[in-house]
Amino acid sequence: MRLFSWWLRRALSAVLTLFLVSVLIFAASRWMPGGFAEVVLGPFASPEQKAEVAAKYGLDESVFVQYWLWLGTALTGDFGISMISGEPVTTEFGLRLPVTAQLALFGVAAAVLIGVPLGVLTAVRAGGRRGGAALGRLVSGLGVSVPEFVLGSIVVFLFSRYALGLTVGGYVPFGQDPAGNLQSMVLPAAVLSVFVIAVAARTTRDAVLNVLVEPYITASIARGESPGFIVARHVLRNASIPVITVLSTITAYLLGGAVIIEYLFNLPGIGTYLVQAVGRRDYAVVQAGVLLAAVVFIVLNMLTDAAAGVLDPRFGAAAKGRKR
Amino acid sequence: MTWWRRADWLTRSGLACLAVLVLVSVVGTVFGIGGDPDAMVGPRLAPPGVDYPLGTDELGRSMLPRLFEGIGTTLLLSTLAVLVTAVLATLLGVAAGYRGGWLGEVVLRLVEVLYSFPTIVLAILVAAVVGPGRTATMCSIVLITIPLMTRVVRAAAVTVSERDYVTSAVISGARWPRILVRHLLPSLSGTIAVQGTYALSVGILVEGGLSFLGFGVQPPQSSLGALIQQGSTYLLAAPWLVVAPGIVLVVAILAINVFGDGLRDGLEPREARSLV
Amino acid sequence: MTPLLHIDDLVVDYASGGRTVRALDGAALTVQRGETVGIVGESGSGKSTLGSAIGGLLPGAASVTGGAVRVDGDDVNTLRPKQLRALRRGRLGYIFQEPIGSLDPTMRVGRQVELALRGRGTRADVTAHLARVQLADPDRVARSYPHQLSGGMAQRVAIAMAMAGEPEILIADEPTAALDSQIREEVLGVIFSLAAEAGTTILWLSHDLPAVAKRCSRVVVMYGGRVVESGAASAVLDSPRHPYTAALVRAVPGAAADGARLSSIPGQPPVLTGSAQGCAFAPRCPDALGPCSADRPPLVSVAERDVLCHLAEATVGAGR
Repeated sequence: MRLFSWWLRRALSAVLTLFLVSVLIFAASRWMPGGFAEVVLGPFASPEQKAEVAAKYGLDESVFVQYWLWLGTALTGDFGISMISGEPVTTEFGLRLPVTAQLALFGVAAAVLIGVPLGVLTAVRAGGRRGGAALGRLVSGLGVSVPEFVLGSIVVFLFSRYALGLTVGGYVPFGQDPAGNLQSMVLPAAVLSVFVIAVAARTTRDAVLNVLVEPYITASIARGESPGFIVARHVLRNASIPVITVLSTITAYLLGGAVIIEYLFNLPGIGTYLVQAVGRRDYAVVQAGVLLAAVVFIVLNMLTDAAAGVLDPRFGAAAKGRKR
Repeated sequence: MTWWRRADWLTRSGLACLAVLVLVSVVGTVFGIGGDPDAMVGPRLAPPGVDYPLGTDELGRSMLPRLFEGIGTTLLLSTLAVLVTAVLATLLGVAAGYRGGWLGEVVLRLVEVLYSFPTIVLAILVAAVVGPGRTATMCSIVLITIPLMTRVVRAAAVTVSERDYVTSAVISGARWPRILVRHLLPSLSGTIAVQGTYALSVGILVEGGLSFLGFGVQPPQSSLGALIQQGSTYLLAAPWLVVAPGIVLVVAILAINVFGDGLRDGLEPREARSLV
Repeated sequence: MTPLLHIDDLVVDYASGGRTVRALDGAALTVQRGETVGIVGESGSGKSTLGSAIGGLLPGAASVTGGAVRVDGDDVNTLRPKQLRALRRGRLGYIFQEPIGSLDPTMRVGRQVELALRGRGTRADVTAHLARVQLADPDRVARSYPHQLSGGMAQRVAIAMAMAGEPEILIADEPTAALDSQIREEVLGVIFSLAAEAGTTILWLSHDLPAVAKRCSRVVVMYGGRVVESGAASAVLDSPRHPYTAALVRAVPGAAADGARLSSIPGQPPVLTGSAQGCAFAPRCPDALGPCSADRPPLVSVAERDVLCHLAEATVGAGR
């Protein structure tokens, strides 16, 4: 029962956060200088023309009325139409979601399949050799220190200059040409992966090192359990919560749109679309995009909490106890 | 500063690298080494050579002085922004962690709201509202690093405020500003330093990314991100335009990160445990 | 016959922040099968390091720089990892100070006991092992997570796990220090009765001399990383021969006559950075003579015990 009321509180607080995000993004989009009318009509439009455009999209109402109307329809799942294309916002996002989702999938897979094992391995081996510690730190530091646009530029340069067999830039939908799609996605996914692998590996390494000094690990060693057994039975689960948290952050980050990667490799993803929408003052798109990204973030957070409660019984108890 | 004696070669070289970058930028800018960064002096897109050590850009400006200026801009903007973040995050984090109550709820909510925005989109929104440039860059860095740092400071403040010496100070009737200055800040200073260091590397990354997308530092002002952005247009014809600022950017972020790691390990030493 | 445990001039150094701290400075101890040995010393005396060294459990910062630990003739420090694990599994059992922390917080207790039985145990075996350590409701405990247990219950579980493999040596490092005083005796009772049943040799590390002397056949006193006195429990408690032991006995509340002042030992225990020049206790010793701080004291056998003291040597010399 207390667990239920904890989740209820959690859900209410999520709703409150989303409400605040919606207010903030609405305010920010109306706050941007040079409104939508100027953008579509150009700098030489007459005030009458501007007023006409404003009236057409309801921009002549007060900001509060606009917000109220938008919130009302958004709650029914209708985020309005893109003022640039005239298409529903949801359709526009639907067109770009596959690109972003595919990149996110590659990135998360790389973080889970390469980053996490790498972190476990380096942490377990850290106790063995003394001199390797600094070197490991240097390598893992390098992974998080090379910005995507630097690594991406290097990759673009190398693959454009020397025709190394992979397509640079452009996007081929998977449904149209699976092989071509993979060919065009390999490079952006690889560039993206370096950073997320390094982040996942660093967090995992840290979490595992923290577990390795726990007395129950010493107790397992004292019982003669083998390193592989100890890692599998005791270390992984106890180190899992920070790892899952960072994986969920990575997922939210990638689903929010890997703007720089999309820009560099000319991929029509959600990130680039949002940036364009900000530039064109396409209010409905900006508002819906940010709000949906916030929903993804909050849902992932709640899933992480749920996972933490399952993985660590103490965490579940703490959650229950927090009601007091 | 006992942690410094424990610091290994990597931590020390991290700090040394940073010092060298600052020194190079300051000396290069002050003494005008390589000439005027804004003067169009030579042929366009000249490769590195005797006259122009790092080549020239598309307008025939020498890259070396532009790089000096760029390092300075990037480091200065990020440092100023992170100082603002450090002060705000410390106040917010302590308020949330030590005072708790409704104030804590408000701070946590603020953190969560800022977290919910996709990072680069948040920065671009800021740039759209205040207009692209140095102010937008600094505001973006502050808004992006504040939630990261506030969360950690808050968690540390919760732990510290449960310690006996804080309890006894409260019981003996000390007022809260005094508790903050005398008891909380000294215990939190390590956390703040470590988080501030990481925030600095995030700040440089944000400056780079935002300027690379064209929403950050605007030409003719140079910054590491702006230089890479301008150079990337001529990536195939003149790769050196990107190479020099790219290397400096990576070195700066790497130096800060390894220094931060070393600082953290030095302040909270953790023994490595062999499973064999 | 090979002694079960033979620790020969063991030297262990810790590296900490570019500095070396010597935890064991030539500790020597021989234990025969079936003995119950209490190792007494202040924190920093090296007793925990000694206990860890027996199972090759020293942390990464520690290194054995001299001497040897032999369990039934095998030098622990030269064993290969696989042999070392076999030694820990088959011959050694450990109980640590922090009962709840010594159990995996994310695994049910029953499962942990099952793992300690190495998959050979059924559910009934798990219950039986938990019942043997006198847990009132073993099935409920088996279903619990460690954080749901009291310290005393958790320590009983740890004892059940340590004794599951019927070890030849049980090393209990301050097993009751974190427990409420009322249940200490019960927990100790469980340890000693299970060990007696299985014929397990006990090494009990403690700072409580009278408690140790009450249950153990032999008492070993450590100071400054060396064993300074070792002998039959009653003899050591009644007529200590090392000045440090004597000071410990005087500092015991129960031993002083009513109205008499309890004496404490002036000064601080040493932190060694290398081999001690003389006797590590000399700076605090009320009876110290010239050679005490200059020469390392030799081992002297006197009055049914071994003592590491120049003065004891003098006594032997005088008696001859």
